[in-house]
Amino acid sequence: MSSETETTEDGIVREIGHDEFDPVGTLALILIYFVIIGGLWAFMYFVEFLGNGPTVV
Amino acid sequence: MEVFANEYPDEAWVVRAALGSAFVALAIGGLMGLIQTLHRTGFYDSLISNADYYTVLTLHGVAMVLLFTIFFLVGFFQWAITDSLGRKSEDIRITKLWYGMMVLGSAMSAVTILGGFVDSGSLSGVEADVLYTFYAPLEAHPLYYMGLAVFIIGTWIAGFDWFRSWWAWKKENPDERMPLRTFMVLTTMLMWYLASLGVAISVVFFLIPWSLGIFDSVNSLLTRTLFWFFGHPVVYFWLMPVYMMWYVIMPKLAGGRLFSDPLARIVFVLFLVLSVPTGIHHQYVDPGIAEGFKFLAMTNTMFLLLPSLLTAFTVVASIEHGARQRGGEGYFGWLTALPWGKPAFTGMTLAGLMFAAAGFSGMINAGMSINYLVHNTLWVVGHFHMTVGTAVALSIMAATYWFLPKITGREIFSRRLGLAQVLLWFIGMVLMGNAMHRAGLAGVPRRTADPTYDQVIYDGAYGAIGELRFQIALGGVLLSLSLVLFFAHLVLSSFDIGERAAATPDSIPAPLSGPEQAPKVLDNIRLWTSIAVVLILITYILPLASIVTDGGGWLGDSYGVIVAEYVLPAVSSTIDIFVGVVA
Repeated sequence: MSSETETTEDGIVREIGHDEFDPVGTLALILIYFVIIGGLWAFMYFVEFLGNGPTVV
Repeated sequence: MEVFANEYPDEAWVVRAALGSAFVALAIGGLMGLIQTLHRTGFYDSLISNADYYTVLTLHGVAMVLLFTIFFLVGFFQWAITDSLGRKSEDIRITKLWYGMMVLGSAMSAVTILGGFVDSGSLSGVEADVLYTFYAPLEAHPLYYMGLAVFIIGTWIAGFDWFRSWWAWKKENPDERMPLRTFMVLTTMLMWYLASLGVAISVVFFLIPWSLGIFDSVNSLLTRTLFWFFGHPVVYFWLMPVYMMWYVIMPKLAGGRLFSDPLARIVFVLFLVLSVPTGIHHQYVDPGIAEGFKFLAMTNTMFLLLPSLLTAFTVVASIEHGARQRGGEGYFGWLTALPWGKPAFTGMTLAGLMFAAAGFSGMINAGMSINYLVHNTLWVVGHFHMTVGTAVALSIMAATYWFLPKITGREIFSRRLGLAQVLLWFIGMVLMGNAMHRAGLAGVPRRTADPTYDQVIYDGAYGAIGELRFQIALGGVLLSLSLVLFFAHLVLSSFDIGERAAATPDSIPAPLSGPEQAPKVLDNIRLWTSIAVVLILITYILPLASIVTDGGGWLGDSYGVIVAEYVLPAVSSTIDIFVGVVA
């Protein structure tokens, strides 16, 4: 059961201002997402066009 | 500064009441979902008949996507307006009035849907097995449409109530920028006014007179198109409050600050401008709408990826800021510095992750050519269970763990229980959502009680259809268990158990890049609304005109009868009176 409050457990050890913050981790995650999306986009070709039959259901 | 519940007790009452209504709808909708998932997959199909399945499906759809989501958002928006403007409701009676109207409307519609279970007695004939997508030719009892109309008018008054607060605040603070949360609420409501106009016209001018027997028929394609005029942007009505949670609550929980206030405003402006002229992408296989109009709707839809990608960047960057302030390092190491022990944070992050996956299946749905592959299959159901069913529903449940103390003045019961609940929902939806997508690719239809046909054998790309059915049923059971945990948590939180502390007031930290960086034109909501209206006219005028002129007029087949029996006599008697007066 929690008896702590949010203010005491934010765990902030340093203040980072606007100019010091460089979101490289965000860039890394978004690049991974784009690689996945790109891969699925390529995979779509196999699903749609090589399915050997009409695709309208 | 005090906890919201103590500072604004009247407003907090309305917020609590709205959340209560939302959770009642969630409980009913969840139970229906469990029945459906077991019935359709054949694991337990003796509880209801195939005919009653459509009553269950209607109740599930209406309870979940109209009542649960919208009741929660009006409560959340009331908090956002009151808290961000720092002022009480201008007239609490109006606030209670719109909430009351929404409850009344819900009750009216619910009675007609529940009537579908009753075959004899006074409720026989009172039915609304028309699903949440309530366009002709399926016809419901008039009370169903009237209830929905009352519900929607309630939301309109709510929007007016919030605009009134903003106008009053603006008069007292003429030089200040609009607070971000107020900006988000007002742009969302403007989008909603534009979007709900379509369904209001459909219900008031066509479906209610038709179900009352005044018209013999209506132009089905017209009511369909007017429904989807509302039916797609309504998903942004569910999503935009969730985006507000992601922009406002998540950075705070992560120990950081919102990366950019101007980017957040741009995202909401883009939703206001682009949400409505997209609905025709639900009608790619409708004959009666020319391909060119469908192409235009597809283009608008694809542009809507932009605000979601902007959100992915801004929200992730904001929580990364928190992680680095908490000592996180490296390209990926910072992820371990995030507060995974908080159910509100973990739940919303998992919801966002699921939304990233659902974004891809959404692109498939939106693409005109590849949509044919999945149209009307279980794929689409998988898609919206990952979007509204997880990105929205899981965010709402997770945010409740943060939000509840603000509006009740008491801490939640247990973080661990909350954590188990959000994880269980995510796992359940991974199973059910994934299997629904794959079953759709194998051709399994949606909106069908018993999708087995003698002449059809479903052929999955890999794996057997039985495995997919099992995953759907198992996922559905896990989701139901998660709901049970959620409700247990709500009940336990409402009692004084153990030594739970009272909630402590806290504030939303200022963004890294604040509103002073945002160009003034972003707050010119009149301009953005005008652009939205122009885009809607460009996208809808010609298709609607061709549906009316080529599709049998405003009322389909009965148009001629109406004109001959009502319109022409009325016109000629008016002329007679006019001639009489002149003479």
